[in-house]
Amino acid sequence: MNSREKILKKIKSFPIEKTPMPKFDVKAIASEDRIEAFKQSVKVVGGQAVMLKDYGTIDNLVTVLFPDVKRIATNLEGINCATENPDNFSMASMLNGVDVGIVEGHFGVVENGAVWVTQAMKHKALYFISEALIVILDADQLVETMHEAYKREEVYGDYEYGCFISGPSKTADIEQALVIGAHGAKAVTIVLT
Amino acid sequence: MSSHAKAAAQFIKNTERTAWHDQALFFVRQKRDNVAKNIDEWEVLRTKASQIKEHTVSNLEHYLTTFEKNAKANGIQVHWASDADEHNKIVAEIIENHKAKKLVKSKSMLTEECELNHFLEENGTEVVETDLGERIMQFLKLPPSHIVLPAIHVKRQEVAEIFNKEIHTDANNSDPAYLTQAARMHLREKFIEADISMTGVNFAVAEEGAFVVCTNEGNADMGTSFANVHIASMGIEKLVPNYESLGIFTRLLARSATGQPITTYTAHYKKPAKGKEIHIILVDNNRTEILKDKDHSNMLKCIRCGACMNTCPVYRRTGGYSYSYFIPGPLGINLSMLKEPKKHSGNVSACSLCYSCSNVCPAKIDLAEQIYKWRQDLDKYGEADPMKKMVVKGMKKVMGSPGLFYAAIKSGRLINHMPRFMVYNGLNDWGKGREMPVIALKTFNEMWKKGEVRSNESSKNK
Ligand code: SF4
Repeated sequence: MNSREKILKKIKSFPIEKTPMPKFDVKAIASEDRIEAFKQSVKVVGGQAVMLKDYGTIDNLVTVLFPDVKRIATNLEGINCATENPDNFSMASMLNGVDVGIVEGHFGVVENGAVWVTQAMKHKALYFISEALIVILDADQLVETMHEAYKREEVYGDYEYGCFISGPSKTADIEQALVIGAHGAKAVTIVLT
Repeated sequence: MSSHAKAAAQFIKNTERTAWHDQALFFVRQKRDNVAKNIDEWEVLRTKASQIKEHTVSNLEHYLTTFEKNAKANGIQVHWASDADEHNKIVAEIIENHKAKKLVKSKSMLTEECELNHFLEENGTEVVETDLGERIMQFLKLPPSHIVLPAIHVKRQEVAEIFNKEIHTDANNSDPAYLTQAARMHLREKFIEADISMTGVNFAVAEEGAFVVCTNEGNADMGTSFANVHIASMGIEKLVPNYESLGIFTRLLARSATGQPITTYTAHYKKPAKGKEIHIILVDNNRTEILKDKDHSNMLKCIRCGACMNTCPVYRRTGGYSYSYFIPGPLGINLSMLKEPKKHSGNVSACSLCYSCSNVCPAKIDLAEQIYKWRQDLDKYGEADPMKKMVVKGMKKVMGSPGLFYAAIKSGRLINHMPRFMVYNGLNDWGKGREMPVIALKTFNEMWKKGEVRSNESSKNK
């Protein structure tokens, strides 16, 4: 008997009272101004959310917010400031040293400032290895809580890897002192369009 | 003295560190309280979380096979391991098949439970822990002292020292930002060179055949971005039925653990990328035994948030190494008793029965109630403290007889006037690490008889 059968047989071998699945009827508070509330949440988790209209274009936004950067990577169309398309790289390690990575998000979550992304490029490393990550997001695509988030069809879509990213990478492993930028992006900017 | 008390005596010798440890963890606990307070439906979430886990665990066969079927359909390779040995062998086999040499790991208490690192290193594989706290502990050649904050007991100067030795940082610079940046650069290389990336699993989603890994650092995501093979290890209790369940758990996990609204990365692994492999190992290692045990099967609901440790007054003041099991605190006390009661019964005394753990647990596990139950059974494990037993027996007799009781109190008052060395001596176990209570000069009974007892009302009118 292999371990699979052994484990399953053991579970079956004693009676356990089966309990029902609860209903998902949690009532959560809704915010008055979703965009403002989302911006606030992103700030709390160490990132920033800005309106594209305040900058005109992504190109201009990158110039203003990240003036001294050299390597800007994206596979999105129409971004002229990009210096490289990561999909042309044979190896993910070639992304080491990217200053700004620009990606798209599907929707944002007001309660925690997270954005749902699914791998839409050859190397998912771009989401983490970029020193600064810019996530472009439609401002109409905001949900209040994780309950709503897990009802969105994008979460059930056909992807390899999907992630809720909430602000920049961080750690407090040395004496509980918060340090931004453990292994992933040191800055996360959500651009609401 | 219990084995815990003996080990704790070591930890509390350094009073400064004890105080710091206590406060640092209480601060984390307070952060949890603040975010929980701001969510009106917090208690509803806890109840639902508990019910979902109960439902899943009571239908474990169904959900395990559903998960297996769907994960396989997604192209994930599923393995089953009855115990730690088998788990480690499966990992070694995958390494062997890929002729792999270098492995990066993100935090996983299960691999700690299986003592995987040691096993792999003996087999010639380089194992690199990539969570900053875990890396510090790996350099120090010590186990983590907390399940979420592995290096919580280590001071920054000690990190500076060991980093200087291992990765040649400035020994005099103990700034956390500087040290973290150094670790970032050091581990970046390790990520890029790795052949295999290992992660734990926070939640495996049966209906989707996917699994979720939560980190703040992004180390799990970095690891899986470079290595071609991803091995994920999970205890069979880590299942949830569907994504809707995650709506509840992702709201509770980070808030309970560190007071954050969610972890920075909540990564969903569904299918291997082209040319890559994902393996998942479903591990029993005693979990089916826990399932059988009605008094303690609730332990299988645990989502490993660490809140019960942060709130525990005993854990905060005695540190992770005072417990004989690799998981400390209220969670560890219970898990250790389920694993090897004879060996770990010394842990059950590390509890003041304040029940704070039961009150903060996001899965509503009755941690303290279970510890209380273990205590009732201590005789069975041959570890009931003979000194305490004698005292308790004596107390029973005294309490049962009014004459003896009052005589005892009278002599008790004597203690108030005894020199310290007579009270706090080697024979009095209660005096060790405790201030003796001051015994009232008059009993309530005496005051009552002399009419000295008044209600609040009458004393106000006076
Ligand atoms: S027992 Fe509860 S509080 Fe403790 S780690 Fe597990 S889920 Fe968290």
